[in-house]
Amino acid sequence: MLAINFIRRLFLVALLISVPIAGLAQQGQPSIQQLLQEPFLDDYYSNVVYGYEIVTDTQANASRYVGNSLNCSNCHLQAGTQQEALPLNVAGMYPKWRAKNGKRNGIGLRIRECFLYSMDGIMPPEDAPEVLAISAYISYLSQGQIMGAEPEGRGVPTLPDTGYDPNPATGRAVYLEQCASCHGAQGEGVAGMPPVWGLNSYNKGAGMHDIREAAGFIWANMPLGNGKSLTHQQALDVSAYLNLQIRPSDPRDSKFLKLLEHLIN
Amino acid sequence: MIRSYLAEATPSFAWRNRLGNWRTEIFAGFVGAILVIPQGITFAYLAGLQPEYGLYCAIFVTLFCSVFGTSSMMSGPNTAVAILIGTAVLPLAGRGSPVYIDFVFLLCLMVGAIQLLFWLMRGARIFQYLSPAAISGISAGAGFLIIMASLDSILDLSTFKTTFFYEKIYVIVSDARDLVNPYSLFIGLCTIAGGYIGRRFSPRYFIIIAVTTGYLSGLLVAFIWPQPVTELEYLGRMPIEWLPLHLPTINMEYLMMSTMLIPYAITIAFIGLAQSLVIVRELKMETDQDINLDKEVYAQGLANLLAPFFSSFAGAGSFNRTKANQSLGATTPFSGIASAGFVLVLITFLGPILTYMPMAAMAGTLFIVGADMIKWRDIKHYAQVRAELVIYLATFISIMFFGLATGVVVAVFLSVSVFMLRISQLELSVEPIESGVLLKVKGALFYASLAHLTEKFHSHVGKNLTIDLQFTTHIDQSAVDFFIRESRNMAAQGVRLTLLINEKQGHFLKKMGVNSDIELVAV
Ligand code: HEC
Ligand code: HEC
Repeated sequence: MLAINFIRRLFLVALLISVPIAGLAQQGQPSIQQLLQEPFLDDYYSNVVYGYEIVTDTQANASRYVGNSLNCSNCHLQAGTQQEALPLNVAGMYPKWRAKNGKRNGIGLRIRECFLYSMDGIMPPEDAPEVLAISAYISYLSQGQIMGAEPEGRGVPTLPDTGYDPNPATGRAVYLEQCASCHGAQGEGVAGMPPVWGLNSYNKGAGMHDIREAAGFIWANMPLGNGKSLTHQQALDVSAYLNLQIRPSDPRDSKFLKLLEHLIN
Repeated sequence: MIRSYLAEATPSFAWRNRLGNWRTEIFAGFVGAILVIPQGITFAYLAGLQPEYGLYCAIFVTLFCSVFGTSSMMSGPNTAVAILIGTAVLPLAGRGSPVYIDFVFLLCLMVGAIQLLFWLMRGARIFQYLSPAAISGISAGAGFLIIMASLDSILDLSTFKTTFFYEKIYVIVSDARDLVNPYSLFIGLCTIAGGYIGRRFSPRYFIIIAVTTGYLSGLLVAFIWPQPVTELEYLGRMPIEWLPLHLPTINMEYLMMSTMLIPYAITIAFIGLAQSLVIVRELKMETDQDINLDKEVYAQGLANLLAPFFSSFAGAGSFNRTKANQSLGATTPFSGIASAGFVLVLITFLGPILTYMPMAAMAGTLFIVGADMIKWRDIKHYAQVRAELVIYLATFISIMFFGLATGVVVAVFLSVSVFMLRISQLELSVEPIESGVLLKVKGALFYASLAHLTEKFHSHVGKNLTIDLQFTTHIDQSAVDFFIRESRNMAAQGVRLTLLINEKQGHFLKKMGVNSDIELVAV
């Protein structure tokens, strides 16, 4: 029952996507810029635009469920359109079978998890308007992708084994040299730049809290505008350094800590 | 004429002179604010909107209604109105999506405009024809719908659509193990239990006890199990602004689609005013407030018209909050104004705590509110008169099966029918007199009641008839036509028709062209 609403929507989306493909093979869908100028949007496209607005400015448009000062697009770069920077054109990869709970997990759950961990907030309900809007936006981005096939540049690159353990001490040096100008010496972020640690950053349950995941992201995308300039080892080191810093606790284990954090914040 | 309208349209603040005890008013406003916060949040849920819209409604609709009105009625978020908004807009867009919100605001603009139209046409009187049984029936039906809606959140079902309530119950019962979230159910039950036990101790504030119990049990659950396990739904942070100005989107496409909303706009306007006026009329009878009904209609209409510009949806008077207000001793609109201010202040400070309010706790209070709206006392009361019972039950049952909008139409239709049936009953007494027969007519003589009179005429064919119209309250054209026709027939048979009338009736009959066939005797 939980998924029915969502499946109905997905079905609608699939229909919307398949009609132009079947009929006018070349005709693409309107770009977000075009949609933003449109005075009237139907339910689907208005949700796409709303989803886009949430992803680019989560603080303003989905603050209900957010506990830190990040936006989705801080990690899903270019509003989720950049390859190797956690692109969001992944509707075709869901729903996914998960042995752990014996359920099929839709894109909705993935979105809700990013709210809970990456945004250190609370999990929105499955049918919250915000979640539906983001899934509409993800479906929109996924147009043209093949169902079930991994889109090119999904997630972040997996760094090859360098043979050395990540070393936070060298990481600190790299951070101060390469990153502190934007993310601040205390990782607090300066105006317009997101914090990378502290109570306003992602929590310990987030995907970014995984050293390899973060290293892949940093290697491919950071310093911003100058990606792939670090060596693999530097990326691993700095990522290990980030991981040692204070950040909100994982909502799955320390309930008491979580409560304290929320009271302080 | 225009001047009197203008006088009504500007806030009078006449109550200032009576504001002897402003401390009482402020305290009543404070309690009103505490009571309205859970209602605003849950009614926003019923309307399919984010909670902050309900709070804005509790602030701005209450404020405008009190500023422009004359009574201590507490307006604001209202169950029936909220449910109707939800049913009206849901077919057009997904719950809470941007288009949905646009349509809600458009609908509220229409509601406000229609209510102002009622005011211009002096429509306050219409609502006297809605029988009290119909209003109780509507309220009970809304209560039932609220209980069903609260189940969604108590059991943590994601909103699924079933046509009839028994389908929903069937689905829930047959699939309980998969569907029902036990954590959510636990919190919901704690809330309801807290409410009913709390009522023993404090009949007035038990809703607050219920909410607190629910919140604490939610904390307990969150302490033992993390959210990914419980999948509990929380209220979340509410981005409240102090002045949430908003320009409703209006364009051709919206206007075209919104024609579908017009019947709902009329129903909402009607049901909103009906409730407000019942409250105001009661206040007028029970207290010595200087209340102007037309001004109240204007205040409610204007509040709803302005609501969309302040990011809030339409509202109406609230029975329970007005009662609380009254029992705390408030007698002026100032308590409403204070309440609006306190909501703003309270939300600003309570916001961080409310973030972790489980929706199941909110739904539990909704359940209590709904159950309170179905009153045994009402059923027993109306059971004494058959017509009233029929109206009550028919309204209630049609709401159960076909929704609130249909129920309102049924209620209005039945009220008017019963009313018509009653006033078309004439009291006729026949006395033989020396010249023939004297017929005394009591009641209103008009097209609907003529049939009755015709029967009597035909059972006395061939005799002189004298009709005593002194106790007739109203004579309409069809009645005069009837007399003219009959008198002609009687003249053909050689008998006469005599009417005993008063002066006013005489003028009217002459104007309608009564000829010499009828003998008019002024008494
Ligand atoms: C702190 C960085 C960060 C932020 C902020 C963030 N995410 Fe993510 N997100 C990730 C990472 C890392 C992954 C992939 C890791 C994984 O799968 O566990 C991911 C994965 C996803 C995926 C699945 C992508 C795939 O390839 O399957 C979706 C969908 C998603 N995020 C949505 C969102 C949304 C929506 C928001 C904003 C509310 C958001 N994320 C905010 C880091 C972030
Ligand atoms: C030119 C300024 C700049 C530099 C230098 C830079 N970053 Fe970033 N970084 C950004 C911006 C801006 C974003 C957010 C991206 C967006 O919103 O488009 C970001 C995002 C991130 C994120 C994900 C979001 C978050 O807050 O957790 C991480 C992790 C990160 N940077 C790490 C690093 C590391 C490590 C370095 C050093 C190697 C670095 N950055 C250097 C500007 C910079």
